[in-house]
Amino acid sequence: MINVYEPHEWKHGTVVAGVPWKNPVGTASGTFQLAAVRDYYDVSQMGAISTKGVSPIPWEGNPSPRCAESPAANVNAVGLQNPGVDHYLVDDLPKLKAMGATVITNVAGHSDDDYAQVVTKLASHASDMLEINVSCPNVSHGGMSVGTDPVALYKLIAHLRTLTDKPMIVKLSPNVTDIVSVAKAAVDGGADALSMINTLVGMRFDTRTGKPIIANRTGGVSGPALLPIALGFVWRVRQALPDIPIIGIGGVDSGLKALEFLYAGANAVEVGSAALFDPIAPLRIARELDDLLDTRPQLANLLAEGKTWK
Amino acid sequence: MTASTPVSQPMDTTLQADTTLLGDVPPIVQYALQAGFKAPRHEVRVHHVQPLTDGVIEFAIIDPYIARHAQAGQFINLYSHDDMRLMPRPFGVAQVQGDVVSVIFAVVGEGTEEFSHMRQGDTIDVLGPLGKPYAIDMPAHYVLVGGGLGVPPLIRTAQLLRQQHAEHTSTDTASRSVTTAVLGYRNVHFADSMMQAYADQTLSIDDSQGNVIDVLQHDIAQHITVVTSDERGSGHMAVDEQGLPYVLLSCGPHGMMKAVAHWAAEHHMQCQLSLEQRMGCGYGTCVVCTVDTARGRLKVCNDGPVFTREELGWN
Repeated sequence: MINVYEPHEWKHGTVVAGVPWKNPVGTASGTFQLAAVRDYYDVSQMGAISTKGVSPIPWEGNPSPRCAESPAANVNAVGLQNPGVDHYLVDDLPKLKAMGATVITNVAGHSDDDYAQVVTKLASHASDMLEINVSCPNVSHGGMSVGTDPVALYKLIAHLRTLTDKPMIVKLSPNVTDIVSVAKAAVDGGADALSMINTLVGMRFDTRTGKPIIANRTGGVSGPALLPIALGFVWRVRQALPDIPIIGIGGVDSGLKALEFLYAGANAVEVGSAALFDPIAPLRIARELDDLLDTRPQLANLLAEGKTWK
Repeated sequence: MTASTPVSQPMDTTLQADTTLLGDVPPIVQYALQAGFKAPRHEVRVHHVQPLTDGVIEFAIIDPYIARHAQAGQFINLYSHDDMRLMPRPFGVAQVQGDVVSVIFAVVGEGTEEFSHMRQGDTIDVLGPLGKPYAIDMPAHYVLVGGGLGVPPLIRTAQLLRQQHAEHTSTDTASRSVTTAVLGYRNVHFADSMMQAYADQTLSIDDSQGNVIDVLQHDIAQHITVVTSDERGSGHMAVDEQGLPYVLLSCGPHGMMKAVAHWAAEHHMQCQLSLEQRMGCGYGTCVVCTVDTARGRLKVCNDGPVFTREELGWN
């Protein structure tokens, strides 16, 4: 068993949109609360930390209950509860930077103007990358409604591109007919990288009451059950867009599964639900992958140069 | 209402405790602690699994770390062996004897069903102890009001108060706390004997007899004297016949706790309530188990589960 608490010299880094990562494993937005996670491991050792989505003002999120279990999966509808960008800029962001973390700030909004306000505020701060969340299925406006419409997405990203020089990742939704057209719209609008996938829309019902378990009724499905779906999305976008950096997300709970994403054409991966079941899972997975890449020098060299397996 | 179960004396559990120092803290936990982090999810052995009444199970693990650190009202996450069932199952620590940590739960779904079939020596993964505990440092007359499966964390609370008592009697008899348990059940009084081992007084009632408010009204209210609080000047504070301030700690169904909080407010008692909410991670990172409080929308798992009556606005 890997001891994640002993000092480790990372052997296999990667580069995503020009930003060096210590290793190709980050945390996925929505499953990372610094105040809770920092008690369990040294978060600065991750390839990158994608923080919980930040909105222009505090959002209180959806009513409870907000989650339901499903086989090899979890359905949640938190609704991007967060204390707002002003709080983030004086709390999580400076703390993460002081720890030495590579920080991806996940940007949430109900409207184009919301996204623009947050991106503008972040432009002069220490965040290493921005991740535009146009794929949350649990907010009534913005979120997925933008990320499933290539025309609206192009317009939003093109506008945000004028507001920041920071590397901008667009996080894509799997709840679309044609992921490639959405991916192309994001890239044409000026995205520097893509992350995929956000959660799939889903539900569970309480068979005693006949009602949905989650108060929001629908939620987003995450967890190991999503692995083949996410790999399929990453692979299709990689075939269509050979050069855009891709961060693979969906069902990564081991170094081997992270490796699958790299073979599908991702530059890096993020760990989401696995952290809900085991607080130290993200760092353990990063360490497992670091060892697995020892015996795959061709892949490791490509990643180190910011290139991907084809 | 009918009379509740009569007063009982605490039993001596010292001998039992001495026979149950069974294991070492697992290496992964030691590494985490040495590096300055919390104990991670780790594997332990099952000590025993015992039915208490229909569908209610006492489930005990050997975990020296949690045994030494589980505070009043804290909970642990247990994890299924089935990769289809990934979400942790959170349970309040009911009792600690030596290295043995027990929880009590009802078999209500696939996860608890799986745990109920485990046997001594089986392995299981655990995380904890988790959550903000009840504050029990102040010398007081603690009234522990539990309902159904909300009773177990109050047993641990009574156990810790009993330990404080044992530590205090040698030096400072004046400052020792007193514990009265008020327990409500649907039918079988499955936890009375465990509570009686620690509480100075255990009163219990079931649905055929009445409810916990009846017991509070019948057996506690008459002993209350309301004095002007020194600290707050104009405030009022309930004290018992020895002058100890009353502090009510509750865990149980939502409706019961609201009624209990209201009763405590009427009687000028401090009141701390342990909430239940559908949880995800159990340690504060997924933000699904929220409750609306005077301090905003907070997480039950690590901002709570214990909140004061004032925080919840349950007056």
